[in-house]
Amino acid sequence: MSAPSRPSRILRGLAGLVLAVGLTLGLAVVPPDAVQGEVQRIMYLHVPSILTAYLAFTVTFVTSLLYLWKRDLRFDAVAVSSAEIGVVLTGITLVTGSIWGKSTWGVWWTWDARLTLTAILFTIYVGYLMMRAFAEDPPAAARYGAVLAILGFLDIPLNHMAVQWWRTLHQPSSMLRPGGPSVDPVLLLPLLVNLLGLILLYSHLLLERMRLERLRTEAMALRLTRGRRG
Amino acid sequence: MGSWGFIGLAYGAAAVALVGYFVFLRGRLREAGEELRALTREGGRTKR
Amino acid sequence: MMAELMRRTWAMTWKDVTVELRARERVNAMLFFAALVLFIFNFAMGPDQEKLRAAAPGLLWLAFLFTGMLGLGRSFQAERENECFEELLLTPGDRESLYFGKLFGNILFMLMAEALILPLSAILYNLDIWASLPALGLVAFLGTVGFSAIGTLLAAMTAHMRAREVMLPLLLLPLTVPVILGSVHATGAILAGQGLGEAIHWLKLLAGFDIVFLVACPLAFEFVLEE
Repeated sequence: MSAPSRPSRILRGLAGLVLAVGLTLGLAVVPPDAVQGEVQRIMYLHVPSILTAYLAFTVTFVTSLLYLWKRDLRFDAVAVSSAEIGVVLTGITLVTGSIWGKSTWGVWWTWDARLTLTAILFTIYVGYLMMRAFAEDPPAAARYGAVLAILGFLDIPLNHMAVQWWRTLHQPSSMLRPGGPSVDPVLLLPLLVNLLGLILLYSHLLLERMRLERLRTEAMALRLTRGRRG
Repeated sequence: MGSWGFIGLAYGAAAVALVGYFVFLRGRLREAGEELRALTREGGRTKR
Repeated sequence: MMAELMRRTWAMTWKDVTVELRARERVNAMLFFAALVLFIFNFAMGPDQEKLRAAAPGLLWLAFLFTGMLGLGRSFQAERENECFEELLLTPGDRESLYFGKLFGNILFMLMAEALILPLSAILYNLDIWASLPALGLVAFLGTVGFSAIGTLLAAMTAHMRAREVMLPLLLLPLTVPVILGSVHATGAILAGQGLGEAIHWLKLLAGFDIVFLVACPLAFEFVLEE
């Protein structure tokens, strides 16, 4: 437990490799976009980042349900670990989206559907992490966390509808597609490679973060038995 | 700021965030590992 | 079985309402706060009447929501202060009726506050609400139900927490963005004289939101109230 496990190290190595390939493809090999120019390259990071964040929050959702059903704390460990990484990825999505916006529209922030939704997602799960930190005891943190994660996840499609209608007020049927105008398939390659790389990285970070939970849980158990004897 | 300036900023910020989280996680892992070792040692001394 | 459920639910609501009617703490605070909010908005937005009129739906709902949060924050206060949570858990029967009992009380208080805030804001911001009162009432009801559904659950969750006054808004507001957007835009469409037709997809969103969380929250309440 005191060192990364073998699967974890393999994932880390693979992630590094795949991301290196993806970065090279995205920054050097692929030609600039016909419409957006070079700054399109930011999308090769921005889109995989939010997609991986969605994966992370889905994992949190499923393991939260499993925890409430089975009461196995290992599910809760996965839930909180995945949420933490999801928050980091969402933060990256926000920052890269904002920078892309500045380069394209000249402003650091616009209340367009995508940025707004990402910001809401970010606050929901930051709230989740804060709530767990402020809960009165660890079992409560696990229970409340699971409930909040489930509610938050159910909320996401509703948020999507609300915000996209808000931004396209008079054409509720024509939803804005993320990523802007349709993408040339060649340009899709760095995006997919980076997505794979980020998923591998997420998996490695998840295993490590879960290892942290295990260490803490064991330390707490020892402290408790110590206290009883003591 | 030119196009590549923005690109560098975006990728740089992401790298900082990921590396930063990585380091943060490693730090917490190290602390937790040390604490666990200290507690285990203590326990071993008294009795099993 | 159903009758038993409803009896327990009603018992909880009745308890909350009678306690409140005697002390009048919560409603007074909510109303005073709402009036304050309306006044301050006026000063913040400046004297331009047209600008105020245009911003009125948003300001109205901000007043509703802040007031609602004030009420929600107190909805488990009595239980927490008097350490009644354990007794709540001892009462025989399922948690759903506890949740709905609390929920109906919260909806009632929030609607009462809104019923007073609405005419007040009509006066302060020169709005014509009388023509479209039923439509406005429907939007207010749907929005209040959705907001209170999640709010009641979160109020129970945060009741024991450190920094609970901050945690409730922090958790509640991002989750209720669909309610906020839907209510404000539907209200705006109605006040602009466009009637319910324009606002229909916002109303559907509100109704959908309400249904989802009126199902999910009572189920989740079980887990919040454990131990």
